[in-house]
Amino acid sequence: MASCVEEIVPESIAYMKLALDQAKLALDSLEVPVGCVIVEEGKIIAHGRNRTNETRNATRHAEMEAIDVLLEQWQKLGLSKADVAKKFSNCTLYVTCEPCIMCAGSLSILGIKQIYFGCANDRFGGCGSILSLHSSIGDQTKCFKCEGGIMTTEAISLLRTFYEQGNPNAPKPHRPLNQ
Amino acid sequence: MSVNGGGDGAELSAEQCKIEYIPGKLPVPPHLQPTVSVLAAVIEASHASTLIRKLNKIAPLENLRHVKRIRKKRLDGGKYELSLILCLASETDGQLGGIPTDVLEFIKEYQLSSFVAKVCKYAALTKEEWDEQCKLWPTSYHPPTYNIAGITGFSEDDTRSIVDFMKYAADLARSSDNRVVNAAVIVDPSTKQVISSACDQVFSWTTAESNINIEKNGLDPNTSLNCPGTFESKEHTKLPSSASSDPGSFSNCVSCLHPWRWAEQEFGESSESWHPLRHAAMVAIEYSANQDRLLFPNDGHSGAEIILEECVSFPSTESPSKRQKTSLNNVEDGENHELRARSSDSVRPYLCTGYDIFFVWEPCIMCAMALVHQRVRRIFFALPNKTAGALGSVHRLQGETSLNHHFAVFRVSLPEELLNFDSKNSRNLLGSSD
Repeated sequence: MASCVEEIVPESIAYMKLALDQAKLALDSLEVPVGCVIVEEGKIIAHGRNRTNETRNATRHAEMEAIDVLLEQWQKLGLSKADVAKKFSNCTLYVTCEPCIMCAGSLSILGIKQIYFGCANDRFGGCGSILSLHSSIGDQTKCFKCEGGIMTTEAISLLRTFYEQGNPNAPKPHRPLNQ
Repeated sequence: MSVNGGGDGAELSAEQCKIEYIPGKLPVPPHLQPTVSVLAAVIEASHASTLIRKLNKIAPLENLRHVKRIRKKRLDGGKYELSLILCLASETDGQLGGIPTDVLEFIKEYQLSSFVAKVCKYAALTKEEWDEQCKLWPTSYHPPTYNIAGITGFSEDDTRSIVDFMKYAADLARSSDNRVVNAAVIVDPSTKQVISSACDQVFSWTTAESNINIEKNGLDPNTSLNCPGTFESKEHTKLPSSASSDPGSFSNCVSCLHPWRWAEQEFGESSESWHPLRHAAMVAIEYSANQDRLLFPNDGHSGAEIILEECVSFPSTESPSKRQKTSLNNVEDGENHELRARSSDSVRPYLCTGYDIFFVWEPCIMCAMALVHQRVRRIFFALPNKTAGALGSVHRLQGETSLNHHFAVFRVSLPEELLNFDSKNSRNLLGSSD
């Protein structure tokens, strides 16, 4: 598990707050509340939030949404692949929940510089919880710095709200819930 | 053999095509399963429930969810003795090494005398393993892919159909000019229809709008695999013909084999869009989701279920009751989806529940996890991916028990001719498989 040993700088808190705003947007749209922002040289250049329900595509996590925004922007600007790779290597991601194995794999493929996350994801986490794709050994894999535990309480509380509010569209449970 | 590469009417006998199940972990003899040490204590039966509740709060057994907290042992006099796991024991030193203070206080409060016991580290995957595990300490046994057809073998009919879809994937992978790419074909095995198919689009892809094409995508009940040409659709990537002509590097275009190479210049700049993450699986999932939205525009029930499934569990500050629910979900997942997929009241599947996916090459970790999220039931691939494969080669995602969905993975060994992507290089490709 990526632990939070370094002191959290106020900057990280500020960016994480914006990621949490994205997560709240997801919550308002009945999506699992996870949000993120991508920062390049102190400037927020993309944001994203979970859209798995709306798209019926369970891979549309916040990180993937934000990444797609950047790829589109940069290609419109006519940047080459090498330029884009260089840009990603200067980017920091702030996400409210530890990236899942798929997203961690994606971030490694893109060669992102660094990520900060809120709560750990102990079912799907790809940055320490289940797999450690940010630090995988291997000649080709790209590592990135990773630090968790930024505003964990807020991130969890959003998730908790989500699961507690239930869903008006939810089908009948297939089995009685255990108390 | 009279099989011609990629030909349509070629008849294959079952002997020519081996379908091999790739289990979640490398097989270990049941009596040699890895164990961990735990600290346990004999307790009074009357205290059992109170003690468990308290312990689950102060020392939940994080990575040993398959292990029962209490062991009931029959003693000689016909009486029962209950032992309770207190916490993990430190492997290095003896007794009171790394015991958390909470647990120490607990031991003191109830005047327990602790002893070290061994428990099996991983959940049992077979009955034989489970029997052995319980000799050490009782565990629970929930075969994660128990209900998935094919693990115990395929009928001749199923084999033929699997081989046909694999050939279809191979043809697709071969179809883009002079680059070889990976192909993914999502299939509903109950109707033998292609739901969606795609090739890698890392180096070139068409815009999302133009890809939505129900009529051509095989959901028409009249189409079946017998006429694969019917599925030819726009979604099929057109890669630029300016591809690298160096035969030695031709397989470098398979995204899952070299996920980190997208930025290398040797593939040339194209005027079309490109995207480092548009591996065949990701694109095929997107297409199937697009179709689902088109075919069932107002159906809200999918969303509701995603909410139940696509959850992130809370860190260990969470109450034990929530935790138990989470693990219950894990356990029953396989069965429920099977049932739901077959239930008559929903024609529409939930994501890709019940579907199969066929690849030429074993997918990378990003793609494999995407298939967990999208709930694919079975994965078939023809060629292992030694550089980045996530289903047995480098990672073994199907063995991660914490995931909330489990698929079964198979390798389909086809005759060489069918995987003949390039006469010069096919031997290299297949060579890596043996």
